[in-house]
Amino acid sequence: MDFVTPQVVFTIWGMPITNTVTSTWIIMVIMIFLAWLLGRKKPIALEMIVDFITDLLGSTMGVEATPYVPFIGTFFLFIAGANVLGLIPGVENPTKDLNTTAALAITVFFSVYYFGIRSQGLVGYLKSLAKPIIILLPFELIGHFTRALSLTLRLFGNVISIELIVAIIFSLLPYFLPSVMALYGAATGLIQAYIFTILAATYIGAGVVTTEELVKRKLAAA
Amino acid sequence: MSPELIVTITTIIVTGLGIVLGTALPALAEGKAAQKALEGMARQPEAAGDLRTTLLISMALLETTAIYVLLIMLILIFANPLLDRFFPAL
Repeated sequence: MDFVTPQVVFTIWGMPITNTVTSTWIIMVIMIFLAWLLGRKKPIALEMIVDFITDLLGSTMGVEATPYVPFIGTFFLFIAGANVLGLIPGVENPTKDLNTTAALAITVFFSVYYFGIRSQGLVGYLKSLAKPIIILLPFELIGHFTRALSLTLRLFGNVISIELIVAIIFSLLPYFLPSVMALYGAATGLIQAYIFTILAATYIGAGVVTTEELVKRKLAAA
Repeated sequence: MSPELIVTITTIIVTGLGIVLGTALPALAEGKAAQKALEGMARQPEAAGDLRTTLLISMALLETTAIYVLLIMLILIFANPLLDRFFPAL
């Protein structure tokens, strides 16, 4: 298990810093540098990425996706980048640490309320939570918690299973085959990044409504 | 047989059975989902994009159950809470 569990590298004022945290910093630096380089040399490549994410979010959420692209797109780029850059020796995949995935899922959990309230207003959002009848409100809230839990465990479980398989194969046959499995793990990680993005977009999209819908509601109330 | 040994053997047997059930059933369900989605795509190729997105989401949701089973089995094997609870001296 020492292969796959995060190891404490050093401590800052008694706070343990694991190697997944340092890898997160390395990946952040690499991705910021890549974004800067692409922005200078090939801006059209960045535009393609943004277009891809905008189309994806637009088809998933059913509303104008532009305000949500910076937030949800960052999840996609971070998870995809983490899974691909985790192939570099010495850089651990941060998403194999439960704390990283929990942090991502908690961010999604709170952003659902933030975007929902920003779109519909506080009263409108609370009304939409208790939509068919008020009795269903607790179940809706339980649903929100389990969504965050399943987002955490899905990403973590998928990544950790591949890491375990690589570790087991490494102990059986240390040549060539573990690298193939690690590559397969990176592909799985890309799919998981896609799924995490779609699910976050679905959860956030369930809380926001289109402008026409808002106008229709105002007219019905008046 | 000492009680620790009984707990360990039971854990191993349950883990094996659990991982079999917990992976076979979601795999069957995923196969069914993929089959239906492919049938839909063959019948209406213009709806293939929407179907693919929905298929990916539902596959992820179905696979979550298998991942839960895997995580519980990992806990049972590597950090067995029953052994820690009943035999703290170990």
